[in-house]
Amino acid sequence: MSPRVRLDTIRECFEGVIPAVLATSDRDGMPNVSYLTQVQYVDREHVALSYQFFNKTRANILANPQVKMIVVSPQTAAQYQLTMQFQRTETSGALFESMRAKLAGIASHVGMCGVFQLLGSDVFRVTDVALLPGERLPAPAGERNLLAALRVCSERLQGCRDLDRLFDETLRCLDEKFGIDHAMLLMLDAPGASLYTVASHGYTDSGIGSEIAMGEGVIGVAARMRTPIRIGHMTTEYGYGRAIRAQLEDSARAGELAEQIPLPGLPGSRSQLAVPISAGERTLGVLYVESDQDLRFTYDDEDALVALAAQFGLAMTVLQGAAPEPAAVAAPAQLPVTAGEPLVIRHFSATDSVFFGDDYLIKGVAGRVLWSLVQDYVQRGRSAFTNRELRLDPRIRLPDVNDNLEARLVLLARRLAERNCPVRIEKTGRGTFRLAVQRPLALVAVG
Amino acid sequence: MQPTVSTAPLDPGQIAFMQGGISISVGACGRDGMPQLVRAIGCKVAEGGASVTVFVPESRSQAVQRDVFANGAIAVVFTQPSTHRTMQLKSREGRVTALTPGDLALVDAYREAFLAELLPMGFTEPMVRAFLACPPGELVGLTFRPTAAFTQTPGPNAGKPLEAGA
Repeated sequence: MSPRVRLDTIRECFEGVIPAVLATSDRDGMPNVSYLTQVQYVDREHVALSYQFFNKTRANILANPQVKMIVVSPQTAAQYQLTMQFQRTETSGALFESMRAKLAGIASHVGMCGVFQLLGSDVFRVTDVALLPGERLPAPAGERNLLAALRVCSERLQGCRDLDRLFDETLRCLDEKFGIDHAMLLMLDAPGASLYTVASHGYTDSGIGSEIAMGEGVIGVAARMRTPIRIGHMTTEYGYGRAIRAQLEDSARAGELAEQIPLPGLPGSRSQLAVPISAGERTLGVLYVESDQDLRFTYDDEDALVALAAQFGLAMTVLQGAAPEPAAVAAPAQLPVTAGEPLVIRHFSATDSVFFGDDYLIKGVAGRVLWSLVQDYVQRGRSAFTNRELRLDPRIRLPDVNDNLEARLVLLARRLAERNCPVRIEKTGRGTFRLAVQRPLALVAVG
Repeated sequence: MQPTVSTAPLDPGQIAFMQGGISISVGACGRDGMPQLVRAIGCKVAEGGASVTVFVPESRSQAVQRDVFANGAIAVVFTQPSTHRTMQLKSREGRVTALTPGDLALVDAYREAFLAELLPMGFTEPMVRAFLACPPGELVGLTFRPTAAFTQTPGPNAGKPLEAGA
């Protein structure tokens, strides 16, 4: 008897480093053997194989669901034989989308872009996993202990008292404890049309405020399907930026190009992992990490980041719902004296885009927030504000109760600071902030 | 129905391919319809392609040997990792055979050729050697006369009967 093995302990065999082999047989008892492009670990009892062509394997599993598969550990050369039963084919949903994204990466890697297309995810129940006898190498020592890293990060996230800190601390933790030096946090712009970047780490340009459409690239697909998307090789199919630009250039919306903040990103990204951030049933955003190495992120990395994202989602919900500090709900402060050439701030009502001089700054909900703040500043001499009043302000028209207002304020404050604007948002306490203005403002409403 | 191959089923290029540094896997099938599988360590082609023997480790191939012995059904797939060129041979006349003099030299040559194929792809020598390791006394042969041959290189022709020069 070969030793029995648990499926979740051999997931390195499903990373595609060494192709798995599958044996099927037809009704006449004639076997067929095929090499597999992709095996996806589903859970402790299931794997899924990519269905790309109607071939002999496909015909056989429909006629006879019993199959055997051999997978090889790329670390130890150990061979495992899996006894499996074909159960069903999924042609949409989270599993299908995550396999489709992964396959796009594999196809680019092996020069099979036009050839490998996912038609379905064939789900198999694994009834037995046996370690085959033979020579094995000792398992290499892990580069880091992901559980220990997760614990430290979890504690550090719990210690964050505001969103601003939570965003930065999360990205710092990924770098210091997980060795992930390129990461972004994106929040969902309800009602779910796009995601905007609120924080990033490891890029020349922060890209704060940049947007990505739901369903676009690994980030957009992760958010739309509410499932982690992990790609181990470079693929243009799930690339960002170029597609959006091309779309806009070709359309009547070419004028919007000026209002595109480029999404940060590694030009030669080889490994990508996008993990949805949610609170209960609600998707809040996406944690995205990438690397210039192939196969940088493993199933274990994915697990760790899913756990971290869950903690992040909870922390974000708690911090957004926190009551303002009583002392901080102060009377509006008096307008400070400013001098110099007035700064012209223009607001385009169609898109809520705000321009400082000729420079595009922000649009959408954040644009409305900024426009309301500077109006109150100029017309009513106000510079102290609370999150609560913004939430109730009819000019801002927040999408719903779960409005992500705090995240938008963080985004706005960062964008103003990053552009070195003479208008800044400065936190004065929990749920309160001040508009700091260094020059006279001249407001122009357009459209 | 499997297409039947008459005379000279394999051309010299295909024979060279099968004996080169490629990945080889063998399938069989039991009476209960359960397929069986083992990875092979080398291949010998004789009689101008009419007879094919693949070498498998005794300890990993018990079920395959049992089923081939019982019903003769065998499928062998050959694939080159760097190019994905793939072909599959089938037969209902498979037999379990002992190694003959000269076979071990073929197995050794196969290991070196497969190593040469995989090293440029980033695999390490200890890894490949462990993967292909098997004491000489524990190798057995699975010999068959191919009655059907298919190309399985990914693409529109995958699954079609193998043609000369393919």
